[in-house]
Amino acid sequence: MEKVVVGGQSLRKVLLPSLIVFGVAFALVVIVYGLDSIAPGVHDVFHDFRHVIGIPCH
Amino acid sequence: MEFKPVDWKRGIICGVIAGAVWGCLAITINTASRAFIFEETLLHRLITFTVGGAIFGMVVSGVLSMTHYWMSFRNIFLEAICISVSLWGILEAGGILLHFIKPGRFHLDIAQIVQGIFLAFIMGVLLGFLWKIGKRANC
Repeated sequence: MEKVVVGGQSLRKVLLPSLIVFGVAFALVVIVYGLDSIAPGVHDVFHDFRHVIGIPCH
Repeated sequence: MEFKPVDWKRGIICGVIAGAVWGCLAITINTASRAFIFEETLLHRLITFTVGGAIFGMVVSGVLSMTHYWMSFRNIFLEAICISVSLWGILEAGGILLHFIKPGRFHLDIAQIVQGIFLAFIMGVLLGFLWKIGKRANC
């Protein structure tokens, strides 16, 4: 089997965007479940958003 | 065997644009469906839905960037829809779990859940469309 490596990426180029995506994924979880203990006020701010996308809420 | 670089930049930009548009669409769709009666002002909704949509779009698009080269689908639309609905399903599963832990605190609403699946589908279509445009522009 032939192995071809196309356009190698530097660690910084790969690490930074992947960290951004994982950070954003964490923010999504905080917003979706309204985790006030992590971000105070996030529950009330995104209350309508949570209901509209179908996530159980009070 | 071929290793291709992950195009993060395109993924993140497409995700933010698709998500912001999706957030505004979500307001319109919910206004029409009345699955949930809005409690906040229009300005507040526009800001939160755009921010929330952009964040959801970035995550879906980021996962799409990572999985694009080994997913077996030949159609970017199908890939985006599959990832979007799957991610929404994971979040919903967490919500259902919370409902079973604290039923008095987290209420399940079937109309909102059906709307959520539909919105996740729409996110996939929007993202697939933007990825297709981005690919053509790169050619």
